[in-house]
Amino acid sequence: MFVHIERGSSMPISRQISEQLRSQCLSGSLKSGEKMPSVRELAQQLAVNVNTVFRIYERLAAEGLIELRHGDGTYVCPKLRQADSQLAAQRDKFGLEFDAIIQQGMMLGFSAAELRTRLTSALAAARKAQK
Amino acid sequence: MSDSAVSVHNLRKAFGSRVVLEDVSFEVPRGQTFALLGRNGAGKTTMIRTLLGLLPPDAGTIRVAGCDPATESLELRRRVGYLAEDQSMYDWMTAVELCRFLEPFYPQWDARLAESYLDRFELPRHVRIERLSKGQTVKLGLAVALAHAPQVAILDDPALGLDPVSRKEFNRDLVEHLQAEGRTVIYSSHLLDEVEAVADVVAILDRGRIVRQGPTETLREEVQRMILPQEVVRRQPPPPGLLDARRHGEQFEVVVDGASRFIDELASSGHSVQATSMTLDDIFEAFVIGRPQAWSEA
Repeated sequence: MFVHIERGSSMPISRQISEQLRSQCLSGSLKSGEKMPSVRELAQQLAVNVNTVFRIYERLAAEGLIELRHGDGTYVCPKLRQADSQLAAQRDKFGLEFDAIIQQGMMLGFSAAELRTRLTSALAAARKAQK
Repeated sequence: MSDSAVSVHNLRKAFGSRVVLEDVSFEVPRGQTFALLGRNGAGKTTMIRTLLGLLPPDAGTIRVAGCDPATESLELRRRVGYLAEDQSMYDWMTAVELCRFLEPFYPQWDARLAESYLDRFELPRHVRIERLSKGQTVKLGLAVALAHAPQVAILDDPALGLDPVSRKEFNRDLVEHLQAEGRTVIYSSHLLDEVEAVADVVAILDRGRIVRQGPTETLREEVQRMILPQEVVRRQPPPPGLLDARRHGEQFEVVVDGASRFIDELASSGHSVQATSMTLDDIFEAFVIGRPQAWSEA
């Protein structure tokens, strides 16, 4: 399981984590029945407040994406019927945010070539971090 | 307030005619991490020294782990671990010597626990403290602050002088050895982006007063930035919670605490406004150096 936190971002850390976990559940990169790290483990791994991680797990459990089995651990749930439409909605949202970022970049005076270079290096950094 | 590990009510502290803390109140529930944020000179260290009973308050009440610091300072020291801002003392000792030196002062000192912290923090035992890195010194300070298994840990700007990698490592230790073990933590910092990841609640201290406190997430939902046309600013009185207003030509960039209420109000008078989230650093800045006056000058 891979989660990347951008410190100093305008998106709260809890939302960064919950959106990444949600996307991975919906897209199937976290597989149904897979065991998730415990709240403590994930908190330590990310150096994030234990209560924050606990609240994120509770929220995802309420959405039916993961299951907190008492005394056993946390597991990824089988895909819900509405998972595909949820995934599509998340992808649409991402598309809008991506467009907004590009527009903002242009307003800040980045050329198309500079934006492409940024995209390429961001992709490379993300791939490297995921390994 | 039996479930509060620390409670402070209407605290006031002055040095001569200089008021350093004024009407400070907060509660820290057991097991939570509370971050005190402020610029240099805002009163953070005075606050912490007052919590520990090292400075007597001029007015107000304080309870820390069930003790009144002013009258029960000995018992308090048994229940509280303290990491001072400046830990350069005893730098001729080694880690092991420091532990032996401190042990007799604490009846509950657990030598095995101290040893295990030295292991977990990967600290060299027989190197003089003066030769340790800044990051190692902070870890050693934390190890000896925790060796008597205190209920409450009070850390004065532990991240000061640490590089980004050591800061992250320190945060991880905080999560792993303090939060996961259910201890209550109070720590001061001026690095907001570090604080967000580990604090349950933050309080912004400015010129001796707490100007805002709340969970970081709530703070970010309620304090937002928006762009307003000049005619809107001219027609409306400044909203409650206005923190900053800057004029850019015909438009105003404003920061409001209580943004959603204000947006609803504007909507009901026919103005649709988009608010944007801010980083914690920007929120802090708005509280501490924001200038709302420009609104009235519009």
